[in-house]
Amino acid sequence: MPSAALELRGVLKRYGSALGVGPVDFDVREGELLTLLGPSGCGKTTTLHIIAGLLSPDAGTLRFGERDITRLDPQHRDMGLVFQNYALFPHKSVFDNVAFGLRMRRLPKDEIRDRVGRMLEVVGLPGVEARFPDQLSGGQRQRVALARALVIEPTLLLLDEPLSNLDAVLRKRMRHDLREIQQRLGIATVFVTHDQDEAFEMSDRVILMNRGQIEQVATPEELYDSPATRFAAEFIGEANLIEGVVADVADGAAVVDAAVGGRYPARLPDGGARSGDQVYLMVRPERVDIATAPPGNGAVPATVTKRVFSGDLLAFTLRTENGHELVASKPSVAGYRAIGPDAAVWVDLQDCRVLPRES
Amino acid sequence: MGERIGGFGRALFAPITVLYLLFLLAPISFFLLMSVFRYSPMELYEPALTGENFARLLGEDYYRAIIFRTLKIAGLTALFSLLLGYPLAYFLARTRSIWRGVLMFLVIAPLMTGVIVRTYGWIVLLGAQGTVNTTLIWLGLVDRPVKILETELAVLIALVHILMPYMVFPLFSSLTGQDPNVEKAAATLGAGRWRTFFEVTLPLSRSGILMGSALVFTLTAGAVVTPALLGGQNVQMLGQTIYDLVLSTLNWPFASAVASILVLCQFSIIFLYFRGGRRRAG
Repeated sequence: MPSAALELRGVLKRYGSALGVGPVDFDVREGELLTLLGPSGCGKTTTLHIIAGLLSPDAGTLRFGERDITRLDPQHRDMGLVFQNYALFPHKSVFDNVAFGLRMRRLPKDEIRDRVGRMLEVVGLPGVEARFPDQLSGGQRQRVALARALVIEPTLLLLDEPLSNLDAVLRKRMRHDLREIQQRLGIATVFVTHDQDEAFEMSDRVILMNRGQIEQVATPEELYDSPATRFAAEFIGEANLIEGVVADVADGAAVVDAAVGGRYPARLPDGGARSGDQVYLMVRPERVDIATAPPGNGAVPATVTKRVFSGDLLAFTLRTENGHELVASKPSVAGYRAIGPDAAVWVDLQDCRVLPRES
Repeated sequence: MGERIGGFGRALFAPITVLYLLFLLAPISFFLLMSVFRYSPMELYEPALTGENFARLLGEDYYRAIIFRTLKIAGLTALFSLLLGYPLAYFLARTRSIWRGVLMFLVIAPLMTGVIVRTYGWIVLLGAQGTVNTTLIWLGLVDRPVKILETELAVLIALVHILMPYMVFPLFSSLTGQDPNVEKAAATLGAGRWRTFFEVTLPLSRSGILMGSALVFTLTAGAVVTPALLGGQNVQMLGQTIYDLVLSTLNWPFASAVASILVLCQFSIIFLYFRGGRRRAG
């Protein structure tokens, strides 16, 4: 396993009586892009500001390598932070913005000029040194902010929703560019976003947060295939959550009697499950099979109640005979195109996963 | 820029336009004209063009000293208001204390009592038997009361106090208008508190500094009551001089020349303010 650049242990921050964040524990590994993903108010930005030293935690420790940096002032942390609104210095030129961190480090003038020029090339903005922030487009400001954070050769790059102020086209390109720059420089990065697509396309690992707590730490694929909680299943992509009862457990897999009718094999969560447990059966919409003729044993009869065409995909809403609703997502090919609204079909569930049903 | 102002917009501007024409432009034009008329002991003035009023004003040492003193006191008042007001405005802009509202009220409160009341207050404090002198004697720093009243110092102290809100509010609004992330960005880039202040906070509050200083300077330059009551004959300033010339000496053309010089000084400061404000980071 790659070594940890930064370790957070038991980090906690309260706002008044309300809980802000934590306690949370996680590591940022060398060279990885780690995303803090979650809805607004989940504590991801608070966590990022604690890492940067802009907020000090009420409890817990931050270690950078061998060093305890919990109480270290932000100006001594050598971390590059890109703000959501970029926070460029409006009264300084692009050159002076990018050079700021180097001037604080009292580097010689020639070296500053070289490094600023080179970094502006890295972010794809050569030759704008003399301009001022209000003469740049949103995307350019973003790149300047990135250059300003990277030019100090930070030990850790921190990105606070850096793409959320860009339009959709630019956002897609910047996702790719950011990831490419991050990998080229091999710099450990903590990226904060509420956008699942961003998190999935860019991250090595994702920390899913909710109400100040970590729900799950996983790679994007693990998070999609094996969400640990109901929140994780519903926040990441779309999910069918079907109530069910575990009928049998064997060899790390369960067989579940689902409320939609039928009995399905399902993967078990980390906590396991026992026969007789009340659980959810989670199925992703693209794993709900639809057939116009009975495909064999296990399939349940249902009716199409809604059909939405979105070019490459067809989204079906189905109602099973016993009144449960399911959503299915299918490629927009001839076989599925033929299934109209109100069609009678048979559904089967694939790749099911058991989720604990608390409270 | 280039936004269309319709009939409704013009209608909204009408009352203030009339007010300014009647009570600002008309009197200013009147005394600008009067300042080049000849003084007449019998009819106040005769409409014959002459430069003698300005020649006298700029030629006589007595009047040159008054102009110089006015500019000096106005400049010093603006400077000390800025030095004392900036920390106050900074604190008010950054504090999250529940007392912020109360403190804001305390800053405005002096405006609610008249300038004469406040000036008399300073007479009580600064007089020979006043609080300041009794304290100095009690502390053993002096054996006899120090003469503070009827000095430029008394006028300066009182003007700084009276005009403080005009400095604090523009500063406050320019400081609260700053993006708080900009200071944080400076910190993450390695700037300590002082570097952040001088590199980021201070330059970004430039518009407030210019605005507050211009306000305090022009208000001081035109002050009449405070210099008259606290400075007396020792601290003659332009405002008082005009007042005396108009009401006692009845030399309106010369009074108008003095007023023209005063307005010229004030307008040049305002002009400089707008030129400065137009530059980046306003």
